[in-house]
Amino acid sequence: MILQPEDFWTFTQWLLRPQSFLESALLQGVVLVVLAILLGLVIGYLVSAVRYGPGEGFYAVARAVRDLVRFDLPGTSPRRIWALARLAYKESLRRKVLVVVALFVVGLLFAGWYLDPRSSDPARLYISFVLTATNYLILLLALFISTFSLPADIKSRTIYTIVTKPVRATEIVLGRMLGFIGVGTMMLVPMGIASYFFVTRGLWHDHEVVEIQETGGGRAEGKLSYDQFHEHTFTLDPPAAEGEPALGLTDMVRGHRHVIREENGQYIIGEPTGALRARIPVYGSLVFTDRTGTVSAAGIDVGHEKARGGYGSAGVARLVGVAREARRLEYGYMEGGTLSSAIYTFENITPARFPDEEGITMEMALRAFRTIKGDIVSGLNGSITMRNPDNPAIESNPITFVVQEYDVSEQLLPRQIEGTDGQTTRQLSLFDDLVAEDGSLEVIIRCLDRQQYLGATTSSVYLRPAESSFAWNLTKSYISIWLQMVMIIAFGVMFSTFLSGPVAMVATFVCVLLGFTAEQIYDIRYHIDRGEAMGGGPIESMVRLLRQDAMTTELDIDAVAGRLIQAVDAGIIYALDAVATSLPNLPKMLSTAEYAASGYDIFGSLLARHGVATLGYVILAFLIGYFFLKTREIAA
Amino acid sequence: MNRSHGFRNKLIYLAVLIAMLIPLYLLGQPAGGGTTDPGGQLTQMRTSFNIAESELGDINPASETMKLASLGLRGVAATLLWSKAHDYEVAHEWDRLKATLNNIALLQPHYEKVWEFQSHNLAYNVSSQFDDYRQRYAMVREGTEFLTRGVEQNRKSSRLIWYTGWFYGQKIGISDEKRQFRRLFSDDEPLHQSLREQNIAVDSPEARGPDGKPDNWLVGRQWLFNGYNMVDSGVPIRNQTPINFYESGPKWRIKHAEAIESEGVLDDRAKSAWQQASDDWQTFGQRSIPTTSPFTIRLDGLDELTQRRDEKFEEFMSLAGETHQQIEEELRQSLTAAEREAIEIPVVDRSETQHSLAHTAQARLIPSLDNVARRAPESVRLRAIQLAAELRDLEARITKTRGHREQINYVYWKTLAQAEQEDRTVQARRLLFEAEQANADADLDLAIDKYEQAFALWAEVFDAYPILVMDDISDDLMRSIRRYTIAIDSDTFADDFPLSAFVEVMDSEMKSAEEYVRLRELQKERGTAAEPTEPAADQTPQPAEANAEPMPEPAPAPAGDGAAEPATEAPATDAPAAEPGEDAEMAPQPSAEAPQPDAPPAAETRPGDAAETQPSEPAEPAQPAEEQPQAPAESEPAAPAEGEPAAPAEGEPATPAEPAGDEPPAAEQPAPPAEPATDTESDGDSEAAGDAEPAAADPPEEAEPATDAEAG
Repeated sequence: MILQPEDFWTFTQWLLRPQSFLESALLQGVVLVVLAILLGLVIGYLVSAVRYGPGEGFYAVARAVRDLVRFDLPGTSPRRIWALARLAYKESLRRKVLVVVALFVVGLLFAGWYLDPRSSDPARLYISFVLTATNYLILLLALFISTFSLPADIKSRTIYTIVTKPVRATEIVLGRMLGFIGVGTMMLVPMGIASYFFVTRGLWHDHEVVEIQETGGGRAEGKLSYDQFHEHTFTLDPPAAEGEPALGLTDMVRGHRHVIREENGQYIIGEPTGALRARIPVYGSLVFTDRTGTVSAAGIDVGHEKARGGYGSAGVARLVGVAREARRLEYGYMEGGTLSSAIYTFENITPARFPDEEGITMEMALRAFRTIKGDIVSGLNGSITMRNPDNPAIESNPITFVVQEYDVSEQLLPRQIEGTDGQTTRQLSLFDDLVAEDGSLEVIIRCLDRQQYLGATTSSVYLRPAESSFAWNLTKSYISIWLQMVMIIAFGVMFSTFLSGPVAMVATFVCVLLGFTAEQIYDIRYHIDRGEAMGGGPIESMVRLLRQDAMTTELDIDAVAGRLIQAVDAGIIYALDAVATSLPNLPKMLSTAEYAASGYDIFGSLLARHGVATLGYVILAFLIGYFFLKTREIAA
Repeated sequence: MNRSHGFRNKLIYLAVLIAMLIPLYLLGQPAGGGTTDPGGQLTQMRTSFNIAESELGDINPASETMKLASLGLRGVAATLLWSKAHDYEVAHEWDRLKATLNNIALLQPHYEKVWEFQSHNLAYNVSSQFDDYRQRYAMVREGTEFLTRGVEQNRKSSRLIWYTGWFYGQKIGISDEKRQFRRLFSDDEPLHQSLREQNIAVDSPEARGPDGKPDNWLVGRQWLFNGYNMVDSGVPIRNQTPINFYESGPKWRIKHAEAIESEGVLDDRAKSAWQQASDDWQTFGQRSIPTTSPFTIRLDGLDELTQRRDEKFEEFMSLAGETHQQIEEELRQSLTAAEREAIEIPVVDRSETQHSLAHTAQARLIPSLDNVARRAPESVRLRAIQLAAELRDLEARITKTRGHREQINYVYWKTLAQAEQEDRTVQARRLLFEAEQANADADLDLAIDKYEQAFALWAEVFDAYPILVMDDISDDLMRSIRRYTIAIDSDTFADDFPLSAFVEVMDSEMKSAEEYVRLRELQKERGTAAEPTEPAADQTPQPAEANAEPMPEPAPAPAGDGAAEPATEAPATDAPAAEPGEDAEMAPQPSAEAPQPDAPPAAETRPGDAAETQPSEPAEPAQPAEEQPQAPAESEPAAPAEGEPAAPAEGEPATPAEPAGDEPPAAEQPAPPAEPATDTESDGDSEAAGDAEPAAADPPEEAEPATDAEAG
């Protein structure tokens, strides 16, 4: 899992972006609210003016605003909201939405057909499968229940039985939202529990001992049977005391290992452990040095194809054209056998935070790149050096390692390690000598083999002070799904206050879709801004499709027509850009599943960010919904 | 619209629906099982085209469900998945890439390219991304297993099964990690188990290597032979030329033998591996192979065809020989004065324009057999026409057979397999292996001794099978010779260094068996006598010079550029060969091309892609000399030249030039020890004359420093 710059932001950094306020979420929210109010007032006035004439129209709008502030908001009663929510809830249940849960269970039953049992990391596959399946199902469900209910009530006139009672429009909108959220939650919970068992059961398997031989001193080693497309080797230690069982451990295969106990000649193989994890990482900042030792922000590019995306992290700054380039962290490489290195600086390293007596656990997910095959049998070698940021002369001796690609390897940074303090070589203490006064520590990674390269990115080396539980991590990803659901329900209810059911559904769906394709839209805009031929906007690409022109060639049509097309395209793309930027960033929320799947604890700040964004959008949707419902005659 | 109206409409719709279902039902009705009820039209068509799901391969319920679930948007879904697969590859998300590939394969299980492309992607592109060779092997395995699933789902795809065999051999056996891969493969019990389930007899001696474990080449061969059986049972070969399809299986045996020898198995086991390889190759030579022409060919059938052709030609000439002469005379008359003049001038004296004039004129001089037959005396005309047709057909077959032989370098492999099963060759290899080991252990005396023994034996082997100088071994041998020079601490070799001719060939640009034979001959001459042999008076000075400057070293030095080139090249370049050809009044083109025999072997020693990408039709037999180690023999004016014209593909004009029947078969023989020797004797005499010598003598001075550098 490669984390992107915005993934490292804390909640306040995200909200305020101290260095570049234009990118902050707060600004984005404020702009959005101001725009929504202005747009609402203008449209409201226009509609009212058409209905009641220009003078009356103004008063109508003013009245609506006054009603909200003076009566409806203060007069909103939780009891009535509760009653309406229960109504919406019951109504949904009556429409047999629970079928979705059944659908999910059926999906899980047949999932085995489509999940690769030979996967080298089955846990990841299983977890991301259940999470994405749940996510899409729940979003779809939210879409349906939220958009059809109100229009159906209005159409069948059952709404009159409600509006004739003393309820306020705020209560109707909020009641609906809460009711549907309740339904969704009620379905999400069993789905979450089923997922948990699906994953744990799916990964559970057993082996038998097929080979064992004594290696002396009461120790033994052997091999386990080939089951679930893999096998293990193991070592068995002699019993600690007479009558105690002998204990052993297998090697790590496909992200798990087993504990083995020998009792009375019987081997008992424990369940797979280590596959379902929730590591809590502490990331540092990363700079590279090149082969001459000069510091540079990026490592060497070995020419791997780059992934797309990364524009969205700049918020309003990108929309107004201040920030343009995509910001995406990729692996940067360091050259072996030279001064080239990757320097990580970790902050706040204290014994209290890393209480382990042995040292600090560091984990690495480095990549290797060979320019020559070299020694085929052995992997590339690297070294880890710790250094005091205040006094670079204080440096530990290098700890060497062999790179394990596409796997997370563990390294211990010992509390006591030999090194130099600039004058003498002596035993250094990690916390006293190597960690600076302010609690920072530099960890330097180097590649040792000449003409070979090691790759690293900010998220590929981290300290791991602790571990959270998988169940809690899974719950957190379900909370993330829940937040998305809430957002969609809010949008659905909002649209259904003024659109008919199917249209409201399509409108909500388009919002979701725009959220998902935002990065592509940004990408198109980026190329339009730079004047690079990259297929162009919708009209231009349609022309290219029909003419079968490649997307990077000049558009070969009449110059005037070409300019016209490009101008219209630019208009469309800029508009889409604005819309996409103002919509919730669902893919980002969806990506929390990636954390759970890769075995990383979902950061609290991430969840908090999603929560605040959701709350913001819900309030916005609620207000818009309120005004629309208010202006409809039924509720007048 | 009132209520009853609506109801009536519904009834009408229902009726229309049912009415439309009836023909659908009739069309798609399944077969009744007996002979009487063949089922509906669609069913019948499915049966006749063999595309019923159950005919194509194993039925996979997951695949069927997925196809149904995509609601007719299978293409769209597949496209999205392909794009996703690419994104995962970019992100190095191998696990997800594999999962996506699985889904693509479920959606498009009978689209062969999907299997082929993606298995290649996994085994070649993705596997190379890993640093750990075991992970690389695991990915190669993923690729082959993916392909195997493709085979399961497409029981009638010759291409997929061939490709699987290709993977097992080529990817595991030729990559840089072949040693590790082969070892991992032979210990990969789970894979063996799954191979057993695929009807690959991994436990049979046929699939086991010298260590008693399954060998990747032999397992690959088993796959290929399964493919051959499938094709023999009536499945057509698609998307591939038959020669390419049939060649790999026998070739894998050869590769197997090469592999075990390179791993140090240099005893009877290697010998028997080569024996089996030779048998396989011979059987392959007997197989009748479809071509793009309406007939099939046998690679080993060339002699027989040539003989038949010659007999027929003789008969034809006996019937219509006079007419032939007459027409030839007429054609001669039809030439312009300039053309006639050009032809009459001896080759060496011709100007450039005269060359080309003579070239075209000579082609025109050859009467078409059909013309001859039509104008033959009435009493024999019918028979002559018949014979002409037969000759034309035979000619086409010969051309085709030659082309195919060249395309896969048939003779080279045949000779190799024969040579390698000799005790002498195995012994030579063993000595070299031991010498290398002794050298690695720094036991120099032993190493030098072994090297010398090995080189002497290798010289014998090369004398017997000159074509082997084009083999993989020659590179190893060159490395060994280099190490030997370091061991003896000398850049020059003794006068009698047995491999001096070999070294010279290897360092020249004209790497060919013929060149070797020629140089070897020179070397021997120099060794035995200082006095010249009678025919070439010019040669007198040469042996003297050569003796003064020992032959062997010169070559290593120039290594491609400058000095030595003329020495090795001059005698064998196109020009000399072409000219005698013209003298002999034969079809000129082929002979001009003749002396390139090295090109195909060079390409073939790396069999993989070269063979793969070759067009289905061999570029018609432009270079007939390829199988004829004695190619230089052509420079001898009369006889061999006549053997040549068999090659011209263009047909008619060529045939009459063939008459000197007995020569071609001789030329065709791979490289029987005796022949090249005798051939080249005369050859060297006639052609190596003048210009060759100075050049050959030249290089020595420059040679030494360079050898130095290499040794250093």
